[in-house]
Amino acid sequence: MNYVIIGNGVAGITSAFALRKRDGAARISVVSGESDYFFSRTALMYAFMDRMNLRDLEPFERKDYDAKRIERVRGWVTNLDASAHNLTLADGRQIAYDRLLLATGSFPNQAAWPGLEYVSSGVVNFVSLQDLEVCERLVPSTHRAVVAGGGLIGVELVECLAHHGVKVDFLVRESWYWPMALAKEEGELIAAHLRGHGIRLHLDDEIAEVSAGADGRVSKVRTSQGKDLPCQLLGICIGVRPAIDWLPGVKTPPALGRGILVTNDFRASLPDVWAAGDCAELPNAQVEQIWYSAQRQGELAAQSMLGDAVDYRPPLFYNSAKFFDIEYTTVGVAGPESFFYRFPGREISLRIMHRDSAVVGFNMLGSRWNHTWFERWILERRSLKEVMSQLHLSQFDVEFGRIPLDGARAAFQAAS
Amino acid sequence: MTRAGTAQWLLHDVKNRGISAWFLSAVFTAFYLILYFTEGLTPIAQAIGLDGKWTLYGLLYTLAVTVGGIHVIRKYRHNRYQVVRTVAVIFVQATFAFSIPHLLKFFHQPEYYLSYFWPLKMEYLTPSYIFSLPLPFILYSFLGSALLVPVLGAFFGKRWYCSWVCGCGGLANTFGEPWRHLSDKSTTSWKIEKVTVHSVLGISLLLTALMFISYSVGKSNPQLASFTTSFQSFYGLIVSSILAGVVGVGLYPIGGTRIWCRFACPMAALLGLVQKIGRYRIAVKKDMCISCGLCSKYCEMGIDVRAYAQANESFTRASCVGCGLCAEVCPRGVLKLENVSSKDARQSALVQIETFSHRSEILSPFGRK
Repeated sequence: MNYVIIGNGVAGITSAFALRKRDGAARISVVSGESDYFFSRTALMYAFMDRMNLRDLEPFERKDYDAKRIERVRGWVTNLDASAHNLTLADGRQIAYDRLLLATGSFPNQAAWPGLEYVSSGVVNFVSLQDLEVCERLVPSTHRAVVAGGGLIGVELVECLAHHGVKVDFLVRESWYWPMALAKEEGELIAAHLRGHGIRLHLDDEIAEVSAGADGRVSKVRTSQGKDLPCQLLGICIGVRPAIDWLPGVKTPPALGRGILVTNDFRASLPDVWAAGDCAELPNAQVEQIWYSAQRQGELAAQSMLGDAVDYRPPLFYNSAKFFDIEYTTVGVAGPESFFYRFPGREISLRIMHRDSAVVGFNMLGSRWNHTWFERWILERRSLKEVMSQLHLSQFDVEFGRIPLDGARAAFQAAS
Repeated sequence: MTRAGTAQWLLHDVKNRGISAWFLSAVFTAFYLILYFTEGLTPIAQAIGLDGKWTLYGLLYTLAVTVGGIHVIRKYRHNRYQVVRTVAVIFVQATFAFSIPHLLKFFHQPEYYLSYFWPLKMEYLTPSYIFSLPLPFILYSFLGSALLVPVLGAFFGKRWYCSWVCGCGGLANTFGEPWRHLSDKSTTSWKIEKVTVHSVLGISLLLTALMFISYSVGKSNPQLASFTTSFQSFYGLIVSSILAGVVGVGLYPIGGTRIWCRFACPMAALLGLVQKIGRYRIAVKKDMCISCGLCSKYCEMGIDVRAYAQANESFTRASCVGCGLCAEVCPRGVLKLENVSSKDARQSALVQIETFSHRSEILSPFGRK
């Protein structure tokens, strides 16, 4: 069997290892236009901040690919011919496959702000290795930057730029930071933390117009509230979309929606073609675009390619992040009611959401938790009262550093 | 990438094997060569009123641990484990490893270092030396090496010694902080480390046995006695002076801070064996690792922590000194140092809800057990 995987991100590489685990004889190739070796995209910011070298971002030793006989092909795929089971690369090379996995990931969203068409440099995304190179090249000549977009990549880029001494204006369209995931109280906690790090956070504001200097480099941003923000760098972090732009033009395009349409066993509409990770769109228009889901999907897509019966339903949602110094753990979904507690004088909060007396979700900031307990309590439909009495079991803080829960429990008693 | 400016360039250069790091390494190496093999430091010591070069060295060592320790406490002030541990390291160095031995000497007692044990300090089970001391010192030495060290190791892992008490570890975790990330993480160096560190342990055990035999029957076997004496001085030169001092500290800016502890310390090797069957482990939170690699990067012992974290494997590695920096730098709170009885481990295993993931099988194909 000759397996070919397009994309060496976490979905692609996880499936390559999973295929090798089960099929010792197969030929397995991974094609990437971005990098020679799998690297941790989530760690791009640490390379930017000089805490790691690029090589440190690689989760496996390079010799492991030889040991596991995973062939790496560097190049951008430009054509897919499913009837001939054949791929064409930009340089003309042909690659034959028996089974193909599309794991092309995401591209950053772009915007069409007036004036952007006259800007030839200084506008960056922060998703790929190439983005990192551009950012590193621009930073020494950047005194002020504007970052647009109140999500996770935005705050990472803001932290990196601030680390390099750049004055950053951070534009968030909504009335608090990241309302998609955080309630107002948590959004304000993060906002205060960002401001404490010297970030100029502008809420309810977005880019209205972009100007370039004589050299073509971005020089100023005008916001919808009419503020003029001079800058030498503009970071666009307004979300990502499945990386499928190249597919409509190929000889046999798979069925596309927002992403590559797949069934619950990750089969695309073409014979012997699967898709997984950020680029795949599951039934009911579900596109999962986080690290953990890409890893999970890559593993399951490999099982499906090996002939197993796979029926994937996205499990209970969980995610993690870090906003400068504040760690964030979330499990489950938002509920109509919630218990919220902010630890006095500390940048720590917990929110437990519930519906019909059963807990449905957790949003924890500033301390460490073992989310597997949260998952269990949600699946067991535990009551908020039970969870509050058992909460200490899920604490994962460092030794000597466990946060005391007495205050939170007293507040809960008083409220109920 | 580095930040603009000369100071930032220098900081990056000295922390990342640049020209200034090589220069500093040469300075440290020269210092240890002068200290061990010449009397060059004696006049300096006497000029500032100290009785000799070793007192000067102890003073400088304590100063380095204190200043570096204060920096570490400030840097990790949000992490109680790091604060408590570093306070302990500074305290032990300032008292057990510096003032108390000198006070003992002042009161005409033996200059005994309560924070060192056999086989790190061979003298403390060298019969000809230890039996010449007053009884309390003999008892402390034997009970410490035979009981205290392994029992605490079984309950808390080797960290109680290597990262809380030991002076070598203390210097590495304070003064050595800027270079902790330089340790080699490859499986090749792991293989080398296992051979070298256990070889030194074997040699130290052999030497100890020889010293006891020679002590009891040396009078009738002058050949054995003289062989043991030359073996002792050879061991002292190669292991205690060259490996622990010249190489161990001299290479801080090039090879990281724990070269001695990792590749050659017999005490670390012994405690590592205890640790493997003891309660200490690093717990890994299931399916939460993002493979960023900060844990591996900042592991001074060169353990590829990420390999375990991304495979959902809680683990105990013999070499782990339990400094806790992997857990500190992890941006997703995946890692936690803990001492578990097997009952507790089973209890927490119950929490592992069945999901699809088989990451431990797929992503741990390289035998990192």
